[in-house]
Amino acid sequence: MGAGERLVGDTTYCDYPEAAKSVAKVGDTMHPSVERIIALKPQIVLVSTASQLEAFTKQLDEQHIAVYVTNPRNLDEVFRSIETLGDLFGSHDRAASLVADLRRRAAAVAAATKPTPPVRIFYQVSDSPLYTIGREAYLTDLIRRAGGVSVTADVPGAFPRFSDEAALASNPDAIILPTGGSMGNANSTVAPAFKGSPAVLNNRIYKINEDHLQRPGPRLVDGLEEMARALHPEAFK
Amino acid sequence: MISGSARTTLMRTASICGLLLLTLVVVIVIAAVIGSQRLPFGSSLCALSGKSNCGLSSEEHAILFDLRLPRILLAGAVGVCLATAGAGYQALLRNPLAEPYLLGVSNGAAVGTMIALVFFGAAEWSRPVMAFAGALIASFIVYQLARGRAGATPERLILAGVIVTTFLSSAIVFITTLMDATRIRSFTFWLLGDLSGTTTSLLTITFIAVLIGVIVLAANARSLNLMMLGERDAFDLGVEVSRVRVIVFIAASLLVGASVASSGSVGYVGLVVPHLVRLSFGSDNRLVIVASALGGAVFVIFADTIARTIIAPRELPVGAITALIGAPLFIYLLRRG
Repeated sequence: MGAGERLVGDTTYCDYPEAAKSVAKVGDTMHPSVERIIALKPQIVLVSTASQLEAFTKQLDEQHIAVYVTNPRNLDEVFRSIETLGDLFGSHDRAASLVADLRRRAAAVAAATKPTPPVRIFYQVSDSPLYTIGREAYLTDLIRRAGGVSVTADVPGAFPRFSDEAALASNPDAIILPTGGSMGNANSTVAPAFKGSPAVLNNRIYKINEDHLQRPGPRLVDGLEEMARALHPEAFK
Repeated sequence: MISGSARTTLMRTASICGLLLLTLVVVIVIAAVIGSQRLPFGSSLCALSGKSNCGLSSEEHAILFDLRLPRILLAGAVGVCLATAGAGYQALLRNPLAEPYLLGVSNGAAVGTMIALVFFGAAEWSRPVMAFAGALIASFIVYQLARGRAGATPERLILAGVIVTTFLSSAIVFITTLMDATRIRSFTFWLLGDLSGTTTSLLTITFIAVLIGVIVLAANARSLNLMMLGERDAFDLGVEVSRVRVIVFIAASLLVGASVASSGSVGYVGLVVPHLVRLSFGSDNRLVIVASALGGAVFVIFADTIARTIIAPRELPVGAITALIGAPLFIYLLRRG
């Protein structure tokens, strides 16, 4: 959107695009330093998901620093937050064309995977302890768009701690491991509970770059495409 | 005359422990047939009794024998560890509040485990070893801090325990802050006590620690009885007080280390269970130690069954349940006592 040079600070996790690494760091997402944020004199602070940050936003409020929180529940809400940011930065048209392009790519994925029956998927956020995605996670929507269906789509919460035996009984046809990228090789093996599942027996374990799936920005559509290609290779020949 | 009273004690211990053992078996069976996945009741009982062809599908069989039973066994072992260690500390320190968690011993073991995870992440054996070392160091420091000229008074002991506990809690927060985000999630869960993810090797190590710890503590029960009269009196009666003290500290640290390494900090077990046992059966340590071991197993298996079923298919950490049951129960016991 051309607003990159207006970014005065970010967190230690921010590594995309490359230029984000060289901006002043205010701590990680769990422990941001409010002092440093205020010292950078931003006009607005962008926060993803409001959890645990009530005290933090209150302090910024007192300094008359605006806070914009995104907490997307599906891909459309990710798109909408990109459009809103475009409006905030005064680059409405660039954001709109970016989103139009992303929508077109997402629609192409949907069209390609539509004829094939959805694959039953377990999305493993971490293996020990076992975490997955629930009905409030935008990833549940992303899986549906990639031609799959999350076996934990009805579990309350966004990232619930999941029972081993319920995992075993969920019998997924495929397991998605978000790994690599900035996570290194964490979460690169499936939990032992899946030992006898069709996913493991048929070797349908797909490692997908965590940065493309668990960071709800423009790269999410890359993640969507990678996931769809992994699940339905025949549809993308 | 002496042999007669010894026989009565033995009979009483045997009958009470037999009763508790029976309760334990019943609780294990109940815990095995309920879980987030519903298994056919009759077939499960049939399979548990060791028969084959009970009509369980291979999936149900795996749930029962690969996931549920190992977890129940670990819960039982952790309960034995914490309750027996609690009974040991309470007798040794002549303090009803002495408990692995309040004394800072659990946190010592937790810091040891975290150091093992950070520096020897791959080696599973390093966790119980470092947890044991951490527990031992923490209990030694607490004991040294508490020992004034007049010996370790109950107040000084608890104060020293609180200081060491809070200091180590800060160390834990410090270490988790330094670790990367993906590990923090597993740690916050583990710190509250988490029994999932049992491996055969961890289970084996925990069981070995349970056997050694309980046998050593039970073997010193008579000396502990005499020491409850006061260490000087015990010494006059022929008890090697300082030797017993070292042995009990080591055995209790071994138990706490094993339980923390495999399941994190499960609170209140070491406090509530020995208290219930003493209130019900008196304070003869020959009985209290063994009965606490069995009662601890029952308590943690019961708590973990709630933890893994109450919001199924999601889970709670077992430490949250032991604290939710333990704290009110303890307040009730205090008011009644």
